[in-house]
Amino acid sequence: MILKLNHLQGQAAATTAEEAIKTICALMEEGHLKKDQFARLQIELDWIQYKQNFREVVIATHGYRANGEPGPIMDVHVDTRQVVPGCLRVEFLKALARANSNGSQAPRDRLPLEDFRSLRHSIVWDFNKLYWARLKDWELSTGRGYEQALPGGQSDGHNRQAIADSAAEFWTLLRDLDNRNQLPPEIFILEIGVGTGQRCGLWLDHFRELDRQRQTRYYPKLRMLLGDYSLATLEMSKPAVKDHADLCSFLVLDATNPLKTLAFLRYKIMHVHSTNVYDNLPDEEVVRRDGRIYFVQVRAYLPMQEVSRMCAGYGLAPDKMRQSVQRILEGAFDDFGGHERGVALWREIWKAMRLEERLVLVEDLPDFPFPDGLDAAKLEDVLEKAPSDFRLHLSSGALESFLNTLPLLHPRGYLQVQDIFVTDLDQYRLGFYGPGKLDGSLLNWVNGALLKEVAERAGYDVHFAPFHYRKGSRTSTLYTTRRE
Amino acid sequence: MTTLMNLPILPTAIVGSYAMPGWLERLKTEYFARRISRHDLDEIYDTAVKAAIKDQEIAGLDIVTDGELRRDNMVDYFLERFPGVQIDRSSKKFYYDFYDSSVQGKLPAASLGLVPDFKFLHTFTERQTKFSITGPHCLAKRIRNQFYPSEEALAMDLARVMNLELRALASAGANYIQIDEPYYSGFPEDLPWGVRSLNALVEGVDAKIAVHICYGNRYGKPSWEGSYRYLFPTILEAKVDQLTLEFARRGGEDLDLFKEFKPPFELGLGVIDVKIHEVETPEMVAEHIRKALCVMPAEKVYILPDCGCFHLPRDVAFAKMKAMVEGTRIVRKELGR
Repeated sequence: MILKLNHLQGQAAATTAEEAIKTICALMEEGHLKKDQFARLQIELDWIQYKQNFREVVIATHGYRANGEPGPIMDVHVDTRQVVPGCLRVEFLKALARANSNGSQAPRDRLPLEDFRSLRHSIVWDFNKLYWARLKDWELSTGRGYEQALPGGQSDGHNRQAIADSAAEFWTLLRDLDNRNQLPPEIFILEIGVGTGQRCGLWLDHFRELDRQRQTRYYPKLRMLLGDYSLATLEMSKPAVKDHADLCSFLVLDATNPLKTLAFLRYKIMHVHSTNVYDNLPDEEVVRRDGRIYFVQVRAYLPMQEVSRMCAGYGLAPDKMRQSVQRILEGAFDDFGGHERGVALWREIWKAMRLEERLVLVEDLPDFPFPDGLDAAKLEDVLEKAPSDFRLHLSSGALESFLNTLPLLHPRGYLQVQDIFVTDLDQYRLGFYGPGKLDGSLLNWVNGALLKEVAERAGYDVHFAPFHYRKGSRTSTLYTTRRE
Repeated sequence: MTTLMNLPILPTAIVGSYAMPGWLERLKTEYFARRISRHDLDEIYDTAVKAAIKDQEIAGLDIVTDGELRRDNMVDYFLERFPGVQIDRSSKKFYYDFYDSSVQGKLPAASLGLVPDFKFLHTFTERQTKFSITGPHCLAKRIRNQFYPSEEALAMDLARVMNLELRALASAGANYIQIDEPYYSGFPEDLPWGVRSLNALVEGVDAKIAVHICYGNRYGKPSWEGSYRYLFPTILEAKVDQLTLEFARRGGEDLDLFKEFKPPFELGLGVIDVKIHEVETPEMVAEHIRKALCVMPAEKVYILPDCGCFHLPRDVAFAKMKAMVEGTRIVRKELGR
């Protein structure tokens, strides 16, 4: 058995490690665990960063071949934050029993909301979408805006000094181009994910002021494109840029494929920026164990205990709970005894939602759904110098967004992304990086190390700079430079 | 001007490189990792080049290249062959990356060993061939100069060594040679000495000489943007037969420069955008050609993609070549030729 500590929270780790070892040994002696299972068992102690997440105290994840035949490996994950003294025996027993059933028995204590599938196609993303579409409803119900839910209570995207520096950097680029007589007649800038529009407004304010002070007349050439998949969000952003209305265009675009909307601006955009967009795009994960790569499939479920409680509270029939979930996803809040009650039920369902997992050998999946820009061979290249046994994000949505944005860049243009990045694959050994829940949305750290590798093949070097404008910020800024 | 025999009006060709198959990329990496031998790699190259020749013939191109499939990129293949150029072989992570290279002394005159590549091409096709090499301006821009007093001096000496190779190629039967100079567009201020080094390179070479000038195609994307206006009038001093330029991606606006300056050169007209995977229709190709014929007589126009097809998937490159050939046939028919 291998016991892996995936975090640096010393006290919780020490207590849990001791209890985990004792419990596992006892379970083996009692015959709950076979010796060959014990030999291959890997127990990982995780500290889950997000208080709201999709995990139970202990989960056991079995390896499978694509034909459903169980594979030899089994990983057990313990959320040390949730562990209370003495709880592990019961939790281990439940997890092992579930894993040993090979998924053949319908779980009685859970209400599955879908079949096993890639995380990116899970129903949890439908909830994420609902959150952004019905943000006002959620905010009214919780009594706080989504920015207040962020660590630090505000978006790093709105930091005035960071915005001023960004505008100044851009002005310098334009001056360099101007000095070489290479300044385009129209200077395109794209913001992906506009939020309140506040950042764009401030950025334009700063740029206009710089341009005025230095008398360069660049400002009138700017064409600011504000892109978001939500028309409602775009509408909400308009007041923040009203002073620059003549320069701004508002575009509904899919963050995972900006090129689709903006193909006419291929190689024309000087600066693309986004804040906290990548961490909220559909993702999936893979695990490398014993030299083989496994794909993590998930199944969203609600614990039956929670189902019973919600049904009692809202007067719902337990056997109709799946339909109720569907109605919530359709935004039919009024069906549940009034709009407010419907929104409250939405919040409760989201809070109760968990993900169970299984690992499927990638080599058994000829049609493995790698995101665009990645395939098994490239992944093997990336993993060549990576830790031997670990779990990583494919950051599928972020990767697709990234690769579908790069062709928009002017040869001297650059992309800047403020987000939460895992910048080195070794970091995956020291923490669990999601998925987690942030208010009604889903959050994943972004595998920046993978983006960096893929970008090199596309002709860009990727760099990460810690966001130094706010003490304690976990955000870093990804920026690209052209690879010669 | 050297005239090539037995070619139809508006002859078609690729610029130089053909689609680099993913499997060949992996095998190149295997070679760097010492998992396959040089002998095996050479056999793999021979096979890949034969396939590229066949693809071009089936697509209907009038002029055929070796697809440049033996080359890691347009710079290293040449610099590795120059005695006197120091290469840091640890500087490359991916085969397509450029090596770090430097010159620390005068370059000795020596064969670059390109003739066998041409002979291989010539052996496996009966069609007219074209052989492309990277020009001295581009190479000088990639070398750390620690000896010569200026970049121009380095480029002139590169040209002196390469001139011997071009003469050897011409003697071996290469009657259509293309010089690639994509960095002119990035460093327009260098153009006067760029042209001088180009002229030194082709001095006394008995072949049709084309110079290909684009806006870059590194990693399948442009390296610069702008207008070809910077070329004029300096480029008129170039002792070449043909200017090969990109027009499909950038539009035909710069064609007016040919009306304005009336250069004595033939025009290699880029009609296929190699930076996108969407395949042009023959009619789109024909329209590009018709526009060019408003400023140039058909007898002086060659039909080409904008740049090398290196970054395109093979099936896309093949489809684009077929569209180019079919589009050209439409115009030939309109001309009654």
